[in-house]
This record gives sequence, structure tokens and C-alpha cells, in this order.
Amino acid sequence: MAYKPSMRSKNEPLDIELDIRPVMNLMVVLIPLLIASAEWVKLGIIEINVPPAKNVSAGGGQGEQNDEEKDLRLGLKIAIANDGISIANAQTILGGEEEEGPTVPMTEDESYDYAKLKGKLIEIKEAIKGKGFKDANRAVITASKNIEYQVIIDVMDNIQTYEKDDQILPLFPEVNFGSIIQ
Amino acid sequence: MAFQPSKSKKHMSKEEGTLNLNSMMDMMTIILLFLLKSFSTEGALVTPSEELRLPTSLQGEKPRKELSVSVASNAILVNDQVIVNTDEIDEGMMVIPALEQKLREYAQQERQLELDVGKEFTHEVNIQGDEKIPFELLYKVMFTCSRSAFYKMRLVTIKAE
Repeated sequence: MAYKPSMRSKNEPLDIELDIRPVMNLMVVLIPLLIASAEWVKLGIIEINVPPAKNVSAGGGQGEQNDEEKDLRLGLKIAIANDGISIANAQTILGGEEEEGPTVPMTEDESYDYAKLKGKLIEIKEAIKGKGFKDANRAVITASKNIEYQVIIDVMDNIQTYEKDDQILPLFPEVNFGSIIQ
Repeated sequence: MAFQPSKSKKHMSKEEGTLNLNSMMDMMTIILLFLLKSFSTEGALVTPSEELRLPTSLQGEKPRKELSVSVASNAILVNDQVIVNTDEIDEGMMVIPALEQKLREYAQQERQLELDVGKEFTHEVNIQGDEKIPFELLYKVMFTCSRSAFYKMRLVTIKAE
């Protein structure tokens, strides 16, 4: 049986205040430290794999040899020029709406028409589906000398995936770089 | 002339006030948690500057710290050391000799490390290019990298939300 508390004691509850100053000190040190090492800008990396110590001009003359080996290759090339973007493979260049000029010309406000480029590439992707091309996911990007880096990255962004029937399918995610167009 | 202190207020006892730090502690805790969440142990991967503005991209995986080749609009740097100024690059040559030499040195070091302590030589290089650099320069840098044993190239971009 527990003892009954003594009636004589008139202890008032002690009012102790928690000393939070050391915790405050800790916070003041920790917060600047964490701010300094925080990741403010999210970085990303795009991988491009180039065969070692070899020039990266894929497609081209390889086409005929591989045809003999029954090894179908698409050799898709995307060429960025100052007047627009052309889509080509080893044999032919895909024509645009006009006779001359690139496959995807510039839009009216002098910027590259990525949406149209993507549309054309989706058509190609759909057409080659199931035909057993070895490099159905590969595209070679080439550009004129003075094309800005950002444009190349934008093109690469737009040829990665596409959506069809609520599915995200790969378009041409394996990107290589080809030599400069003169 | 300063006012004479009021006689009636002279003997007023100072009121003792305590600062209530509870709400401040709450705030600090939340900030601390938020910062711990975005904590990165890798340190700064890129040194931002006016000449090196990375392009934005939608795709991209998490970057790893590797040998970095920065192509700013005025100079090419390897691991934040200036190697060559962009206007000194020979127009007609595909290879940038100064960069190639430096990269070969790094490759040599990496190979030595692989022999000595078994750290695998990954052949990986992070290329940080300014968004305005021409394709020609980028191509030359990539060509030089692939010639000097760094053939797994990664383009560093800023992830757009």
C-alpha cells in the first residue's frame, strides 16, 4: 500500500524555467553552417558516351557495310543550322514543307521550332517501330559552328521522350555528337 | 537642454521582463530541419560566375563529383585552374593542345592511383559549358577530352523545374 503523502509538507510546485540558451547557441552555429552547404541550385548531368579515342562521326559510310550483314541501322542525324533544324540519315535528308531549306524551319520570331521537330521525330519513331533497327534509340546531333550550347541542350531535351496513350516512351535518348557542319 | 527627469517617475521600480524564446525556438527548429533536408555532403560542384552560366535542361541525373572541365566564355578551366583563354585557341585545329596536356597529366595521376591504391579510373569528366559558347568550341573540348582518356563525358546543366 502506498503511503499517504504527508499533510505537513506544503511544497509548492517549483517553477523551473528551462535554460534554452545552449540550444540557441547550437542553432546559431548550425544554421549558418547548413546554409553554406545547402544545395540551392539543382544540378543535373546528361551523359554522352563516346567510343574512346575515336572521332564521333557515326552513320555515314557505315550504312552499306551493315546492310550486308543484315544489321539494320537507322543512322538518324539531327543537324542544327542557323536557319533551322534538318533531320537526315545516311541516305537522305527529310524534306520540309518547302522545297529548299531545312526540315524544321525557324518560327516567325526567329527561334527554333522544337515542338515541330519533336512531332517529326515521333513520326519517324512510329514508322520504324518493330522493324528491328539496331540504333532505334540513337541520334547524332550535329550543328553549325556558331550554334549556342543552350540550343543544343534544348534539342537534346526535346528528343528524349514522348507520350502516347498515357505512356512515356523513349524517343531518341542516346545522343551522340557529330562533326561540325561547315 | 535635456529635460529634467520627472520626479514622480524617479522612484518607479524597473519592471523585470523575460524574453519568451519559445516561438523563436520553433522557428529555428523548422529552419534547421529544412536545411538538413537540403544538406549536401559533396560540396560545391560548380563555382558560379558571370562567364560561366550553365544551360538549363529538363533532364539529367544526379551529378557526381568528377574531374571538371569548365568552358567559360573567356577561358577553359580544369578543376578551377585556368588552362587557356578562348581567344588563344587555334581556329584550324580540332585539338586544344594545352587542355590535352593537362588532361593527360590528370589521366596519368588517375592511373597511378589505380595502381597504388586501387581507386578505379572511371574515365569520367564533367563538362560545364557556358550557355553561350558556340558548338565549335564545345566540340573541340569534347574531342580533346575523348583523345586524352576521358571519354565518358557528362554535360552539367541546371535542372529546370
